[in-house]
Amino acid sequence: MNPLYENGLLQTRRELIFNSAKCLGGAALGSLMAPNLIAAPRANNCIGGLAGLPHFAPKAKRVIMLFFSGGPSHIDMFDYKPAMRGFHGTELPDSIRNGQRITGMTSGQKSFPCVAPMFKFKRHGAHGTWVSELLPNIAGIADDVTLIKSMHTEAINHDPAITYILTGTQQLGKPSFGSWISYGLGSENKDLPAYLVMISKGRGQSQALYSRLWSSGFLPSKHQGVNLRSGREPVLFLKDPEGIDRPLRRRMLDGIAKINQEQFSEFGDPETQTRISQYEMAFRMQASVPNLMDVSKEPKAVKEMYGKDTAKPGTFASNCILARRMAERGVPFIHLFHRGWDQHGALPVKLRQQCEDIDQPVAALIKDLKQRGMLDETLVIVGGEFGRTIYSQGALSKTNHGRDHHGRCFTTMVAGGGFKGGYEHGATDDYSYNITRDPVHINDLNATLLQQMGIDHERLTYRFLGLDQRLTGVEGAKVIPQLVG
Amino acid sequence: MRIWVFTLGLIFVASGGAAEPLPEVVRFNQDIRPILSNNCFLCHGPDEGRRKGKLRLDVEAAAKEEVIVAGKLLESELWARITATDAEKRMPPLKSKKELTPHQIALIKKWIEQGAKYEGHWAFIAPKPAALPQSKPKWGHNPIDRFTAAKLEANGLKPSQEAAKEILIRRVTFDLTGLPPTLPEVEAFVSDKSPKAFEKVVDRLLASKAYAERMTLHWMDVARYGDSSVHHADGPRTMWPWRDWVINAYDTNKSFKDFTIEQIAGDLLPNATVAQKVATGFNRNHGTTDEGGLIIEEYRVEYVVDRVKTTGNVWLGLSVECAQCHSHKYDPISHKEYYQFFAFFNNNADSGKQTRGGNAPPMVNVVSDEQQKLRDAAQARVMSATTKLAARKKAAQPDIEKWVIAAALNNQKQPPEPEGLIAHLPLDDFKGRNTAELVSKKTAAKLEGGAQACDGKFSGGLRVVKSGFVNVKGITPPEWNKPFSYGCWVKPDAANANGAIFSKMNEGNAFRGFDIWLQQGAPGTHIISNWPGNAVKVVGKEKTKAKQWSHIFVTYDGSGKASGTRVYLNGKRLTHNIEADGLSGTIQTPVDFRIGRRSNSAQANNIEIDDVRLYDRALTDTEVATLAGNEPLAPILAIAPAKRNAKQKAALANHYLNSIDKEYKTLTTKKQNAQSELSALNKTKITSMIMGDQSKMRPTYILERGHYSHPRKDEVIKPGVPAFLPPLPKGAPQNRLGLAQWLTRPDHPLTARVAVNRYWSLLFGKGLVKTVSDLGTQGDWPSHPELLDWLATDFVKHGWDIKRTLKQMVMSATYRQSSRVTRELFAQDRSNALLARGPRFRLQGEFVRDNALAVSGLLVRKIGGPSVKPYQPPGLWNEVSLGGNVRFRQDKGEALYRRSMYTYWKRSAPAPTMTIFDAPTREKCLVERPRTNTPLQALATLNDPQFVEASRHLAERMMKEGGKSPKDRVAFGYRVVAARAPKALVSQILSSAFNEEFEHYKKNPEAAAKLLAAGDSKRDESLNTAEHAAWTIVASMLLNLDEVISRL
Repeated sequence: MNPLYENGLLQTRRELIFNSAKCLGGAALGSLMAPNLIAAPRANNCIGGLAGLPHFAPKAKRVIMLFFSGGPSHIDMFDYKPAMRGFHGTELPDSIRNGQRITGMTSGQKSFPCVAPMFKFKRHGAHGTWVSELLPNIAGIADDVTLIKSMHTEAINHDPAITYILTGTQQLGKPSFGSWISYGLGSENKDLPAYLVMISKGRGQSQALYSRLWSSGFLPSKHQGVNLRSGREPVLFLKDPEGIDRPLRRRMLDGIAKINQEQFSEFGDPETQTRISQYEMAFRMQASVPNLMDVSKEPKAVKEMYGKDTAKPGTFASNCILARRMAERGVPFIHLFHRGWDQHGALPVKLRQQCEDIDQPVAALIKDLKQRGMLDETLVIVGGEFGRTIYSQGALSKTNHGRDHHGRCFTTMVAGGGFKGGYEHGATDDYSYNITRDPVHINDLNATLLQQMGIDHERLTYRFLGLDQRLTGVEGAKVIPQLVG
Repeated sequence: MRIWVFTLGLIFVASGGAAEPLPEVVRFNQDIRPILSNNCFLCHGPDEGRRKGKLRLDVEAAAKEEVIVAGKLLESELWARITATDAEKRMPPLKSKKELTPHQIALIKKWIEQGAKYEGHWAFIAPKPAALPQSKPKWGHNPIDRFTAAKLEANGLKPSQEAAKEILIRRVTFDLTGLPPTLPEVEAFVSDKSPKAFEKVVDRLLASKAYAERMTLHWMDVARYGDSSVHHADGPRTMWPWRDWVINAYDTNKSFKDFTIEQIAGDLLPNATVAQKVATGFNRNHGTTDEGGLIIEEYRVEYVVDRVKTTGNVWLGLSVECAQCHSHKYDPISHKEYYQFFAFFNNNADSGKQTRGGNAPPMVNVVSDEQQKLRDAAQARVMSATTKLAARKKAAQPDIEKWVIAAALNNQKQPPEPEGLIAHLPLDDFKGRNTAELVSKKTAAKLEGGAQACDGKFSGGLRVVKSGFVNVKGITPPEWNKPFSYGCWVKPDAANANGAIFSKMNEGNAFRGFDIWLQQGAPGTHIISNWPGNAVKVVGKEKTKAKQWSHIFVTYDGSGKASGTRVYLNGKRLTHNIEADGLSGTIQTPVDFRIGRRSNSAQANNIEIDDVRLYDRALTDTEVATLAGNEPLAPILAIAPAKRNAKQKAALANHYLNSIDKEYKTLTTKKQNAQSELSALNKTKITSMIMGDQSKMRPTYILERGHYSHPRKDEVIKPGVPAFLPPLPKGAPQNRLGLAQWLTRPDHPLTARVAVNRYWSLLFGKGLVKTVSDLGTQGDWPSHPELLDWLATDFVKHGWDIKRTLKQMVMSATYRQSSRVTRELFAQDRSNALLARGPRFRLQGEFVRDNALAVSGLLVRKIGGPSVKPYQPPGLWNEVSLGGNVRFRQDKGEALYRRSMYTYWKRSAPAPTMTIFDAPTREKCLVERPRTNTPLQALATLNDPQFVEASRHLAERMMKEGGKSPKDRVAFGYRVVAARAPKALVSQILSSAFNEEFEHYKKNPEAAAKLLAAGDSKRDESLNTAEHAAWTIVASMLLNLDEVISRL
């Protein structure tokens, strides 16, 4: 065949996929595209992604997002003020609540008694960061992380809040953060999807999740997060059916490829070539995914570092090791969910359990990345969709209380990828109720994270329903320069 | 300065112009508006809030007053600014991240030079019936081809030849029905040499139910259909009656006008039918929430916003929703106009807080066709039994007379015991605290607490004191919809005694069960599924006396009603008070039967009890009287036959028929069974959610920045439509009905264009306007504007006839072209915008699965009804569900093989094989799906048990129907999946694959058996295992071919 003609066909393929002038002439193939057949080489060796991206030299190559669903209590974990001890049990002053709306779960409460954390706090690291006794291991890496204490969100209930923080808007139908990365940057790994998701099993399972939280929204659906599950089939339909062994599967694929090649000769549709390459990648994934998931050869010391749950597949600890393995393999967006952070009641007991699940693995992951020299190029984001109220939901007793949702301030932790170590950004009042300094909106943080990935958040766009849509919305999100070193 | 800039501009033009020639006449709509819209309107467009320098470029007068001088480039500030080298002056500014290309700058230059004529946006001007192009029709079948041929000619292209018949029938069958053609259908078409052959196929397809299903599936994306509520718990709901309505609408070819009016405002039509109300479920398919902490008004507004967005996207092809927070940046929809549109939906009666368990009001009861059939059948059986009973009664007259004579002779004898005794506790003795139950040997009855033996009515009895009772294990009453009777003798110490005499009732579960009890001395009963909403309670109007034995008894006919429940005292039926009336659920409970109390309460102290009986039929008055020791017949029989009055005669006849006549008794049982079935069927109420308005109009205000809590209360906004579109029709009401009438005005510039463009995209893989859901100023320019207008006006002119329009499209030569790409054609028209070849694209996910089911013979062609749950990997629901405990429970049997449109759609975790193939979550309206090509798709069609099972069945068909030789079987299989014969090379590849795998499986019989075990369906065991496995491999290869998962 005429090579020019071939090339032309393949270019058309790109146009069909990316209805966007930005991709013309570029390696505009999706993240899941096999490189050897189609994609033109790119400066940064990525497969897929948009031409012209990254917009500038990136600090970080990938994101690991550890998402704690339910609204972790920033007050009991990080945003502590000694003054809280003084007003424990007293009524929340109107001057602090300021007439703000609160959820239907506590709006009928007659009394709003303030609760100081029922945990001990100490300052840690050179910076002297306040960290709760619930998080002894995270306390040990205080100098490696930025704590943004002035995160805020308009949402006060889980469903809108979690959609907001992961897709940049409360409205449904928008792509998640990871999908934007897959769309914009592609992946340097040709055997794994660009966006991987893991939902951890734990004690607290109460928060609902939705596939929209890792969905590609209006972006082509190949950018949707692929949910890796513990057990024998980490990716859906990964295993060959019973009775088909690897050599047989290889023979089948060879036969299919030959017939598809005939089809291409007859009809000339470049989509047929793409299909051949996708079947090949499927075959490779059948080896690469089990290899990724097999932690048996991890050194004992590493396993111990992540804690006792490491050996149990599907736990948060186990998934943190996997996250590191994905990072090593060049997966650009790794998304872990941990549920059960919605302590409306019995907070002193339940929050302790939650923290036990995650404290050691989070710290270990960050240390592990650091010791491998990968932390600088990996953004590790740790947090939930909102914080919790200073006042008790339900009765306050000596040993027991709850806290309701609180969106006016909460704490998010970021490590690596050029974010400062031993740094606290923003501040709240003594009640940890209102932000007093340097508020950071979800979309400001996202804009900053994108910048670290080498992306100008205003130029990562996709035309949908007449609008150049972007992760950070149209309300003028801004990069926060103080967060990064 | 300006001259210098101009020169620079020329350089741009020169370098850019070489790549892309400029049109002879630059047209505003086609060439200029997209540039201005995308690069300038954000700050110089319709939104006054964002406007910079008081300049707007979207309005001709304003632009020409300020920055454009027609024909005079150098005097036009616009030109100076877009070519300025000074970054401060250059437009668009650097910080906008927008940049004009040299070609765009050249276009603007030529446009200004040619007089800078503005045009209204094409899609906002009503289409005029376009005249057919003048060119001689050398090619083509219908007017569509005149337009495409003219376009091809203008571009120096020739159309492709018609696709091969086999390919064509497969293409049109998928496009119109979502299913593959069967082999006989292919053969009939290939051998039909008549000029009408293709038309016959098209007519057949359009008349099929599968057509209606295919169109409905598309509409389900548009209407954001789901079987769950989306937000928070994402609980179940029942909206499939709406889906059935859509299937029926397409099947009966309801006009698009009525289709629109009924879905938007069916509830507001005069004398709206249930179906018309169900249709409005279109706007109840939206996501709703049940979250505990929600603020109700916030979500109520959110639902209105969703309806505005959906209506705008679907009918208008406009992103109306963009004006929620501010005036639209691109289309002339002001902030206020948004809220005028919003006001149509703002009177909604549904609450912001809905439910996680089923439907929320407003809703209607619906009866499915299938259910109606069952009900009719049961009703017919009741009627038939009633008729037969009457007939038997008549026919039995001689028998009755004979019996009366004999009975009169034997008047001294005891009448027989009533039949149907299922439990009998005479309570005569309590050896070791145990007492006997006479019917079943397994029943254990034991004296508990302070209860004692005493003298009874007959022999011994039970005295209930000091919270004592008799506990009986192993008694199960009939279900709520079956008849039964029960009673005993009682002797209370005092008048006005209270308490349960006996019961099987669980207070802990809403008092489920039954009892007989005394209420202030009066006998009564509870029969309860769920107190008090789902229960029957009646209490007789006469009382037992102190220190006297009284017989109390209850009969119940299984109707679930108080009217079917009778209370007797001493053999006499009492009139009764009704305290609960409406039972339609199980009364079974695990707690024990207890004499003297309920399981834990209603203790009947200081009462003596004797001879407890339970029957599984409703005893007659006579029978009860007999039990009470009355001999109601004896006095009558003693009367001389001639002197008996009518009532007395009737009593005798009834006794004979109900207690003695076998045939009459059998018929009675039949009637009761049919009645039970009927009440059970009537119990399963199906609802569908519908739109409803509040009776009192809710005022609408502009919401500041779109926020529910910031209404601008200074002005009440009335329902209305944007000013750039035609007004509401004269006399149209200012509500949703008026809106629907407005959308379907014949001169509406958007509705028909948007609709026909969508139909076109279903058949051609993309629309004439590529942005199918956006015909606004940011939308694409149509590839064939005149054709689009012709189709739109033709659609309206012929009564918005959907089938007619689709038929016209597929009958065109344009549609029938081969999709083969030649080198020449490709060079000129890569994306096939000019339509010089047929479209070729991958089947949508549902069709990929349905195809596998159809070709393998597994597909179950049942139309409509509730959603089904075919195979899916375990754990997908509980790993995301609220509380982690919502489990997916896979269906069995035919539900595994229904068309994919019926697959249960849980929107937080939709069916994975479908989402892998680009199905949206359907949380929001989506008019056009993306079409991707990924390795996960390959894994699904290779490894999903549904596909492995289908391969096994396709293999079976190849072995049984495909002839003897491997070559013949391969040819058969290939024809089944691709409609055409395989090429020699293909045939050879597949045949040798069979040979190789046959050898492989002969050596590995265990592997063969494992492969063949995939799926729930049975395998034909007579087939050789290794051979069947090898053909299964070949079949799986067939189902994974690019040709097979595409339509060519």
